[in-house]
Amino acid sequence: MNALLKFVGALTLAAGLSAAPVLAETKLTVPGGSTTGTYMDYMKTVYARASGSELLQLPLTSFDNEYQLTPLAAESWTQSADGLTWTFKLRAGLTWSDGLPLTAGDYVFALQHAASTGYDFAWYWDFAGGIKGWKDVTESKADASTLGLKAVDDTTLEITTATPKPYLPSVVSLLYPVPKHQFDKFGDDWSTNVDNVVSSGPFKLKSWEKSNNSVVLVKNDTYTGPWPAEVDELTIDPSVGAPEVGMPAFLAGDLAFTYLNAGQIPVMKQRAPESIRTNAVFATSYISFDLDSAPFNNADVRRAFYYAVNRDELTTTVLKDIAIPAGSILPPSYPGYNPEIVKQAVFDPAKAKEFLAKAGFPDGNGFPKIEIWLREEGGYNGAILPPMAQYLQSQFKQVLGVDMGIKIMPGKDWMEGLQQKKNNIFIAPYEYDYLDPSNFYGIFYNGGRHRYFVKEYDDLVAKADSATDWDERYKLYQAAEQVMIDQGLIVPLVHPIIMAVVSDSLTGAGVTPNSQGFTPLDRIGNFLYSHISEKQ
Amino acid sequence: MIFYIIKRLLSVLVTFFIVSLIVFLMMHSVPGGPFDGNDMPVSEAVRAKLMASLGLDQPLWVQYVNYMRGVLTLDFGVPFQAPGETVLSLLADAWPPSLLLGGLGVLIGAPLGILLGMAAALKRNSWIDYVASTLSTLGLTIPVFVISMLLILVFAVWLNWLPANGWGKPERWVLPIIAYAAIPLATYARYTRSAMLDVLHRPFVTALRAKGLSERRIIFQHVLRNAAIPMVTVFLPMFIGTATGSIFVEAMFRVPGLGSYFVSSISNRDYPLEMALVLMVTIATCIAYLISDIAYAWLNPRIRLGDD
Repeated sequence: MNALLKFVGALTLAAGLSAAPVLAETKLTVPGGSTTGTYMDYMKTVYARASGSELLQLPLTSFDNEYQLTPLAAESWTQSADGLTWTFKLRAGLTWSDGLPLTAGDYVFALQHAASTGYDFAWYWDFAGGIKGWKDVTESKADASTLGLKAVDDTTLEITTATPKPYLPSVVSLLYPVPKHQFDKFGDDWSTNVDNVVSSGPFKLKSWEKSNNSVVLVKNDTYTGPWPAEVDELTIDPSVGAPEVGMPAFLAGDLAFTYLNAGQIPVMKQRAPESIRTNAVFATSYISFDLDSAPFNNADVRRAFYYAVNRDELTTTVLKDIAIPAGSILPPSYPGYNPEIVKQAVFDPAKAKEFLAKAGFPDGNGFPKIEIWLREEGGYNGAILPPMAQYLQSQFKQVLGVDMGIKIMPGKDWMEGLQQKKNNIFIAPYEYDYLDPSNFYGIFYNGGRHRYFVKEYDDLVAKADSATDWDERYKLYQAAEQVMIDQGLIVPLVHPIIMAVVSDSLTGAGVTPNSQGFTPLDRIGNFLYSHISEKQ
Repeated sequence: MIFYIIKRLLSVLVTFFIVSLIVFLMMHSVPGGPFDGNDMPVSEAVRAKLMASLGLDQPLWVQYVNYMRGVLTLDFGVPFQAPGETVLSLLADAWPPSLLLGGLGVLIGAPLGILLGMAAALKRNSWIDYVASTLSTLGLTIPVFVISMLLILVFAVWLNWLPANGWGKPERWVLPIIAYAAIPLATYARYTRSAMLDVLHRPFVTALRAKGLSERRIIFQHVLRNAAIPMVTVFLPMFIGTATGSIFVEAMFRVPGLGSYFVSSISNRDYPLEMALVLMVTIATCIAYLISDIAYAWLNPRIRLGDD
């Protein structure tokens, strides 16, 4: 009788199991960035990396949709008493997708290899990371083993910096491991050949179409860390990155979300307002100058331009819905954002004229014809920069009596012009790399991006970067930006706003607005693709 | 004729080397290199390492000689934008979609254009002529990306008959082929109409009619053959132009073809790929014109190649 009951019970269970609903596989296609990508390795190249590189590997830390620092590979970290050495404790049991353990050595190797072979993002680990010995290794004056990096054991990583870097846990959000065992076997081809790529993150690489840099990623079953993938298959397709191509694909149901261009925003606001997501990108567009040549070697001229911009009118007319006024190099909500700085950036035509007259150009008389250089851009900058330049052209004529031409040029030509001072006025956009004020202030520090060498500013920024007390840092950065304002080093213009339309079938924190009403979407890809799924 | 072909082939070789030299010098004289243009510039030390990794630290003439030496053995180098591949393997992967869609676009568009042009010429000033002229004017004047967008809007979004874009399944080929066909169709419709009208008014056509030949025989055997002569010279160069991909059509329909490489190789300063693409198009165009000239002579016995 007992055996019969067991048999009937087993049958019932089997029947129940077989009748249980089978969850459908979730497959999403999303827009990507660049249509070309060289290596599937963020630590080999940042600017020419392949789509999805960041999703394949597990950084030490990351940011959630509220921009809160979150431990990923690192479980915890401590700072030494002198502030120079950080010890990161890795989670136990992390593995590569081929089953081998992911160790602290893989993170050390990633940076040693980057420093010694030529890394297009090397400035980051020098200025932002401040890793001891970094500069000497990149200049081939020292061996990579001398870097301030040490794998104490498989789960303990020690990073030593040349000066205290209180924000290092934020910086290592861009430290991805490199599988040394694969590199030893294949060299750099470990990250160019789909068969050689192994991953430590929530996804694995299934295929990679090199003609347009689109990739298909699948859930990594060996992944045991936080933020596992919720979708089974993710296609990142840069060929639908442009809203003009993305929108038709989205309307036809082929895309999970698409970004909107200025013309599409009002249409979609009317058609599907509840599906629109907004994100304030941590980015700033500003005017920079050649500080060494006339007429912009005169601070009064630069300050005249600072007061001649009506940012409110600019962002409510030609840049409506796609930008907000910028009164500081730091965007709103970004750490260190300072309302005291922002409120100084007012539109004051009288003051602008006064500064220009003081510089010897009353009503623009005698002012040389200038040409502002901006670079060809896609994405949100492509929508903002050209109309903004035209607006500024008319505003500077109207307020200052200055004739300004506009030249739009390829990015490489523009950067060469900026670095070699081939022109004297530029519109420059910049998007953050890590969440700390030192990121934005660093682009003007000691040459940096603009060949600016302003000692007073550099001293304040250097001091602020290594100060351990946040309030002290905040004040020092405020003083540094005040130097920028007083000397008219830049004219902050706008911060971009991007809008996307999201499929109604999606759910999860990745597509839900945060407490400030913003949805970062793939600006924080690690978070998005581990917090997004389809409604069942 | 054989002497003429040999002479032309030799001139193709000379053209090839002249083009290679001009393009090589031009692309290296453009400001910026493969590692410029990043939001934060690389230091001199890092740049030196990166340039050396691509062989760009060598004198220009050494780079040119090395590259061309490789070309002679069909080694076009390694593309900077796809370091795990060779230029040839990259092009071998990307060309088939362009060749298929662009080639079918011409092969469908050209005959349709000829038919349309013939109908317009034979029914001059009728509604057929007006429709054909309007269609061909629209095909030539509306930018192909607008045509592509309209096709997507109508057939994918409104009617939901076909996928908006993508690659792989044959139903995804339909819209890009129509977009590709627009220009050949329009061009051939105009060429055929004017060529037919020109021939129809020649005295020999009147003579043929007086001889009592049927209108069908006059049109297909005599008029069309004569009218085809200028069209032949257009066909192959147009085929080469279309079958090497369109930046716009491929971008709009997400076709993983060759078109985007023409832009990305320049914007990324991918010198090996840029050279390979230009040389490939140079050779293909030279050969297309050579074949066109031979076909021209075959169709028009009054022309004797190489008799000078």
